[in-house]
Amino acid sequence: MIPSNPAPFRPLRSLFAGDPEMRELVSEFAAELPERAGQIARHAEGRDAAAVMRLAHQLRGAAGAYGFPTIGESAGRIEDALRGLDNPGRTRALEGLRTQIEELAGLCDSARAGAPISHSRSPGR
Amino acid sequence: MNADPIHTDDSKPQVLVIDDSPDVHRLLAARLKREELELVDASTGDEGLSMAKARPPALVLLDLDMPGTDGFQVLRQLKDDAATHPVPVIVLSGLASMQDKITAFELGAVDYITKPFEFSELRVRIRSALRVHRLLQLLATRAQLDGLTGLWNRAHFDQRLAEEVSKAARHNRPLSVAIADCDHFKSVNDTFGHPAGDAVLQGVAKVLRRESRTSDVVCRYGGEEFVVLMPETAPQDAAAVCDRIRLAVEGIAWPRHPEHRVTISFGVAGTETGKSASPEAFIESADRNLYMSKRTGRNKVTSSTIDHPRPAAAA
Repeated sequence: MIPSNPAPFRPLRSLFAGDPEMRELVSEFAAELPERAGQIARHAEGRDAAAVMRLAHQLRGAAGAYGFPTIGESAGRIEDALRGLDNPGRTRALEGLRTQIEELAGLCDSARAGAPISHSRSPGR
Repeated sequence: MNADPIHTDDSKPQVLVIDDSPDVHRLLAARLKREELELVDASTGDEGLSMAKARPPALVLLDLDMPGTDGFQVLRQLKDDAATHPVPVIVLSGLASMQDKITAFELGAVDYITKPFEFSELRVRIRSALRVHRLLQLLATRAQLDGLTGLWNRAHFDQRLAEEVSKAARHNRPLSVAIADCDHFKSVNDTFGHPAGDAVLQGVAKVLRRESRTSDVVCRYGGEEFVVLMPETAPQDAAAVCDRIRLAVEGIAWPRHPEHRVTISFGVAGTETGKSASPEAFIESADRNLYMSKRTGRNKVTSSTIDHPRPAAAA
């Protein structure tokens, strides 16, 4: 029996992958991305909305500057969904963010797969 | 040797980055490594504030959204402190609402850049902020300089005297003030012309700068009068410095009038113990001693302590 093909997995390349000044830095950043997405997911499961918002905010600011604007936008949507709410409101809002957090995790995995190999750090997960 | 009021600082301007994200610190280090600046990092608002106060940088790059003391609080405290007030602050923030921008500018930010930032834009904005800051510093310094001699002017002296008198009284430390006056200066102008008089003032200023110590503050007080503010110096030691200056001036052969020597007289007043006295008391006492030097033959130094006010010595 021929196994069904999984959805095509597209490595995500940084806009700065060809920039010698950024190459090593982008590799390190991309290698850490899955772990960061994992932290966000774990905090979401633990209903720690403040931690989710803080990590998403940091990722939003950094990802674009490392050449991953789609990751920055994805993290930004999570942050925006939580910002301005009180604590109970944030906790409720977390329930509706499951898909977005999964989407972010997928993008982070793609970025790690698409990054040049870094020799200076071990991969995040 | 006394430091020039406008000294050439060859060190790179220091840029303090206050951001809780290690990513941003790493990125800036990589992207700005070819710029003529020194980056220092703070990962919290409180850390950034204490670093800025300990050594005010040439520029602060400030994140707004940080846990604990946030960027707005940092900005407010930087602008409330006299030492850090002049430091330009560029906000680097993921917060992009109009109200955040207005608040940041109202608190004193010079620029606002939204993350994720474009580095070519960030570089030119940093260069621009550093350039404006350097020019403003230069302007502020020039406003306190004497145009003819390049020494500090009277306004600077008045400010420093008040500060040093207060410091000496607070810590019970010695402090002296010397007033110098060119003897028979009018006759130089009348006999050899005003350009020769200007050359004498410039020459005396040069000797004052050369023969005084780094910690001394040498100023042109007005006309042919100069003052030297000498922190941590008792009047008898100040008198010794002044006598060295007096001898050096006496030894100058002036190109415009080699046959005519120029001499200067000094009046010195000071405290050995940081006695609490007004700045005016130092000036009045030094001025009385200068008058004594003039009346008793010129080309001499008369000093006294304001701790026990009476003329003590005439060199």
